[in-house]
Amino acid sequence: MSQRTPAAPQAQRYTRFNLAARVQHVVMLVSFTTLGVTGLVQKFALSTISVFTVRVWGGIENLRATHHLAATVLMLVVIYHLLEIGYKAFVLRTRLTMLPRFQDAKDAWKALAYNLGLGKSRAQMGRYSFEEKAEYWALVWGIVIMGLTGFMMWNPLSTINLLPGEFIPAAKAAHGAEAILAVLAIVVWHMYAVHLKGFNKSMWTGHLTAEEMLHEHPLELADIKAGVAGQTPSPVAVRRRRLIYYPVAGAASIVLLFAVYGFVRGEETAITTVPPQLATVPVFVPQTPTPLPPTTTPLPSPTSAAASEATIGGAASSSWAEVGPIFAGRCIVCHGAALASSGLALDTFDGALKGGQSGSVIVAGEPAASKLIVMQSSGGHPGRLSAEELSIVSAWIEAGALEK
Amino acid sequence: MTVRPSTRFRQALIVLGLGLLVLVGIAAAPSAEAAPAVLPRAQDQPSNDYCIGCHAQQGLSRPLDDGSVLPLTINGERFRESVHGEEDVACVDCHTGIDAFPHPAFSAESRRAVTLDLYTSCKDCHSEQYNNVLDSVHQKALAGGNSNAAVCTDCHNPHEQRRLTDRQSGALLPEARLGIPQTCARCHSAIYATYKGSVHGAALTGQGNPDVPTCINCHGVHNIQNPTTARFRNETPQLCAKCHTDPALMSKYGITTEVLNTYVADFHGTTVTLFEQVSPDTPTNKPVCTDCHGVHNISLVDDPATGIAIKENLLVRCQRCHPTETGENFTDAWMSHYVASPSRFPLVYYVNLFYRIFIPAVIGGMLVFVVSDIVRRRLEARKGRAH
Repeated sequence: MSQRTPAAPQAQRYTRFNLAARVQHVVMLVSFTTLGVTGLVQKFALSTISVFTVRVWGGIENLRATHHLAATVLMLVVIYHLLEIGYKAFVLRTRLTMLPRFQDAKDAWKALAYNLGLGKSRAQMGRYSFEEKAEYWALVWGIVIMGLTGFMMWNPLSTINLLPGEFIPAAKAAHGAEAILAVLAIVVWHMYAVHLKGFNKSMWTGHLTAEEMLHEHPLELADIKAGVAGQTPSPVAVRRRRLIYYPVAGAASIVLLFAVYGFVRGEETAITTVPPQLATVPVFVPQTPTPLPPTTTPLPSPTSAAASEATIGGAASSSWAEVGPIFAGRCIVCHGAALASSGLALDTFDGALKGGQSGSVIVAGEPAASKLIVMQSSGGHPGRLSAEELSIVSAWIEAGALEK
Repeated sequence: MTVRPSTRFRQALIVLGLGLLVLVGIAAAPSAEAAPAVLPRAQDQPSNDYCIGCHAQQGLSRPLDDGSVLPLTINGERFRESVHGEEDVACVDCHTGIDAFPHPAFSAESRRAVTLDLYTSCKDCHSEQYNNVLDSVHQKALAGGNSNAAVCTDCHNPHEQRRLTDRQSGALLPEARLGIPQTCARCHSAIYATYKGSVHGAALTGQGNPDVPTCINCHGVHNIQNPTTARFRNETPQLCAKCHTDPALMSKYGITTEVLNTYVADFHGTTVTLFEQVSPDTPTNKPVCTDCHGVHNISLVDDPATGIAIKENLLVRCQRCHPTETGENFTDAWMSHYVASPSRFPLVYYVNLFYRIFIPAVIGGMLVFVVSDIVRRRLEARKGRAH
């Protein structure tokens, strides 16, 4: 079926990405993905996926630390990349094939026209196609925007020394929007061009076959065959230029590393503010208690209660100290000074002997003649003393109803 | 004819005896009324009238062990008007140990001890509320030995409590809402004084506005939780949002409902929200609503003295966590819950606008290339197969 001639010679391979480029790609891939995941989770903090991710990550503080770590790694990759470009441009005098040219716009138009059926042939690409350049420079744009806005959010106090405070929320808005753009661009552009259109493995293997080169980069292949590409400068010139480049690059890298350090460690305001100072509020401050209903009931004092116990234990003959508590427990709710039902108040010795409206209730020495004993014995009174209590009161009356 | 005297005497004795019996009966009847040996009872338990017959007397009281006096007077009229009176709850339903007079022997250390002894009978009817209370901060304090901690009857006087909720819907009656802060104020009077001065409290106590939160809207009713925990603090934004994101309620007062969204969109809110979702018991130093707006003393944001729409007032709040910051730029970094617009935070507005155009433009352009490329390759593949 296929009209392609099979069996392209295995040996015919063209190096596309050296090891350094492939390592940069992997490191960037990891840091970009980490930044995307940990960043978008913060942008859409209320979504279920975000909450799940934060939980898996062990909390928002861990997640932010990871985001910062990945950002630092990406900054280091950028520094390495810049030094590498400098080396290629200055020492090796390599052609800067990634620089955009007007030809790229024409290629893009031609490719689109062909796709839409307006052109007769596909655009012919050199070392880097317009698609690859678009992605590279989009990444450069993204890193610049993310770096600047990221700095503002990471170091807000330094930023507002120079710029209005509004730049901080603006930086946050731009950082979040740019993140969405970057992730969508990778999904749409990169995934299609490198994975879906046909899996281009050169970023992992480092090379393309002759057939792949013919398909993807025919102009580069032509340059290679013509001996235009890949010209190496003379070792003498390289050695001479290295002597200049290495010190400059060394100094530049020290400056850049310091810049990164300042970026990363300059401020910790966002993370370590002082703990919140919670106001202390007096919690239990009761209002003046609700006034009780007026009462004149005398209060039993603890000393008299103790004394009464001593009397009960010590003396054979009973006294008010013994029967008083019985009346207090049984009678004075009604027959106390406060209420004095039927005029009778049994809360004091005098009151008890005085009796009520219908005369005395206690006749000293004569329990049978005492109304209190009669009423209690007959069962005609609502409140009842127990038989034991009644016998104590009766004995007290029989003994003369004495106060002491 | 002669009648034997013995027979006549016997007849006279019978008549006399019968007459005596009648007399005794007549005499006995009123005396039984005057000193009732059998008091009126509803079925086998004493009726409320039976109890109130004595307990309505003014001054009825008894001394307690600590020297205080336990008042025993019940206002029968107020009881009948209370929800318990309306529902014919019997005195002895709660005072379970008492079924007749004389009452069983009774002694208590103090009035508080009487309350703590009696309030548990509430659970017989109000088990849901009672069980909620078991989880509350009050119950924990009580179990921890603080006998001042509120129990049922401290908030609801069982003899006089009027109906609080609608009988059908169970919803809190508007007039009941107005009384809630005063109830809590019995123990928390200092907080009540602060609340009365707040924008919410002034509206409630001054204007009788039932829309504003009372104590229970934030603290709950029966299962009141400790408000000083990390969890309570982390949940604060959601708590305030219950009212402040309700369009029907907020539109009455011209208040924005964007306060939660704008808070969550910023660093502080993002962090707190995620804390609340992921580890609610972990404390965070990021501010919640109350750190800037106050707790019981929440004021209008444009109040000249305390309102945080005024930058100087806001800075004071900021400095509680950022003590070294002073400049106007610092407070401007927080958008004060505003949604960016051309007049407020224009830079943020135009950044957003730019990306609202830029993202679709870039991604759309990419899609044009990608989709046209897919279509073209499909067509070519089909043509290739056809050949």
